[in-house]
Amino acid sequence: MPEQPPSVFRVWIDATPEAVWHEITRTDEPIAAFFNNRMHLSGELQPGSRLAMRTGSGKWTGVVGEILEVMPLVRFAHTFKFTAYDDPECTVIYELEPKDGGVQFTLTVENLPVGTKTGKNMSSGGKLIVNTLKRSVETGRPSFGIRMLYVLFKVLEPISPKRCESDNWPIDGSRGTQS
Amino acid sequence: MNEERTDRLLSALAHSGRRRMLDLLMEAPGISVKALASHFPISRVAVLKHVQLLEEAELVITKKRGRTRHLYFNAVPIQLLRDRWTTHYSAFFAERMADIKTRVEGRAMDEQESKRA
Repeated sequence: MPEQPPSVFRVWIDATPEAVWHEITRTDEPIAAFFNNRMHLSGELQPGSRLAMRTGSGKWTGVVGEILEVMPLVRFAHTFKFTAYDDPECTVIYELEPKDGGVQFTLTVENLPVGTKTGKNMSSGGKLIVNTLKRSVETGRPSFGIRMLYVLFKVLEPISPKRCESDNWPIDGSRGTQS
Repeated sequence: MNEERTDRLLSALAHSGRRRMLDLLMEAPGISVKALASHFPISRVAVLKHVQLLEEAELVITKKRGRTRHLYFNAVPIQLLRDRWTTHYSAFFAERMADIKTRVEGRAMDEQESKRA
């Protein structure tokens, strides 16, 4: 399948690399920048571990992938597949670079299959991810509009497609708690 | 977004040639400096200077592969600027107003072209 050129998004965040790294790799709480999903891992945060982005209830899984690269405070890369679509995986790369007393945060999405829903969603969704991350790390929470959007997601959770149920997307030895 | 960054962003956008460069980057993500320069009647060095200003404003991201520099448009600073002066409510209506303008003007241009043909 032909691929789109990479999509690249960059923002400067007034925070330490540690704060940004913690926000993109945490498994203890939902990650505001990742559509308020919580990251579940099959093992440690290391290449080869499987990951799943699940709703707070744990019942639904929006994204699955495999960790490709972990360079603490510098680079985190994993494959990325929307569970709702049959599209092939793409790759997302987060890069952190100290700059002007803060962090230059770059999100690159590669191997986007042309003309697919994944290609379309990731080309536009990247902007929302880096923006929400900036706001969450700098102020402690996402903007009012994004918070409202997440309330709506929660309300609509029961009508999520059946194929997105977490039972269909197991990751061995998930260490996230599905309450 | 602090004021210094906003100044850099607006000053980078206050130039028709640089805005055209962003259009070209949107059309062809990853375009090389050489290919970008071929669209302008100025030297490659002059184009590079404009690219540097766009980079400083965070509107352009450069990725080097081998000896070639690939350029990408970064929409985030423009989104932050938009967020500063819009709420979800005003964005809803402003988007519709902008849609109407684009559609009506597009239709008028189509009509003019068909008259000329």
